[in-house]
Amino acid sequence: MKKLPRRDRLKIYGDLLFTLYSEAKKESLILTRVQLKIGVPFDRLKRYIVELKELGLIEDEVSLRLTEKGKQYLREYETVLDFMKRMGLAYR
Amino acid sequence: MDNLALILVEFVSAVICFVLLRFMMEPYRATGEGRYLGLPVGFALLGSSYVFMGLNLYFESCFSEQLRWVQLFAQAYAFAFLAATYYFSKKPSQHSRLWWALTYAGLAFAAVISYLVVFEPPIMGLPSYKTVDEYFRMFNIICLVYISVYALRSHASQSNSGTIWFPLGYLLLCFSQYSFLLWSVDSSYSAYLGGHFLRVASLLIFLFVTYRVFYVSWGASKWEGRLDEETPP
Repeated sequence: MKKLPRRDRLKIYGDLLFTLYSEAKKESLILTRVQLKIGVPFDRLKRYIVELKELGLIEDEVSLRLTEKGKQYLREYETVLDFMKRMGLAYR
Repeated sequence: MDNLALILVEFVSAVICFVLLRFMMEPYRATGEGRYLGLPVGFALLGSSYVFMGLNLYFESCFSEQLRWVQLFAQAYAFAFLAATYYFSKKPSQHSRLWWALTYAGLAFAAVISYLVVFEPPIMGLPSYKTVDEYFRMFNIICLVYISVYALRSHASQSNSGTIWFPLGYLLLCFSQYSFLLWSVDSSYSAYLGGHFLRVASLLIFLFVTYRVFYVSWGASKWEGRLDEETPP
């Protein structure tokens, strides 16, 4: 089995926001699916979600979804990752 | 090419580097990883090396000697910082934190010592500028070859054709250093002009790609499309 590289918290936040954003377009959000996509244990996933809520990046009305601040953060984060990719820099 | 044109080329190169410097901060700001600090430091030193070269051409007699040496050191440390950033970017940060911290600290310390040596030369004096310049050019070429190969390998592992531009820019910068080396060895004027041309071309490529990434290609619609992909980046 391929070993996943260790990620720092910012990268996990970025991956989680990305996944929540794309999952939010579907009928229902299933946390197990999110967990499988970003590859973290369920207890840590719940902790990250709480932290992102505290930061005002996601909100929980009916289902988890990104706030405008969260979308803005994700957009900037994606742009920088794209820039790094174009520079040939790895981010692990 | 007369002196004024050369000063203009140095000025333009410096301005491009300082514009790029602002964007080179972004990887560090977005990730919070100190190992990416080598990018802004590298581009700041590269830009300042062109400023020193321009000043050297402007003040032809006074400070000329010191400015040439400072320019030489600034450029070499710039490429060393950039190469170190590329080297450490492939290592998981938890394992390499101590090493990149030591490397950056060592480079910064060596840079300070080098500048002190220029203004307070040792008792036996500095060696011949021309010889040292050739060694430094070779060092710069080695750093740039490493960065180019690294970036090209990264490009080869991705399906995105847009990732070719930065490696191409680094290759042009490498050829520019090679041209300056040729000029230093055989005083070929065409190599000297070619070196300047290649350098400006490479910096313009960097600027073009940076502009595209930050201001053009990531409009809202494209961003939405990107997020339709299933897996996180």
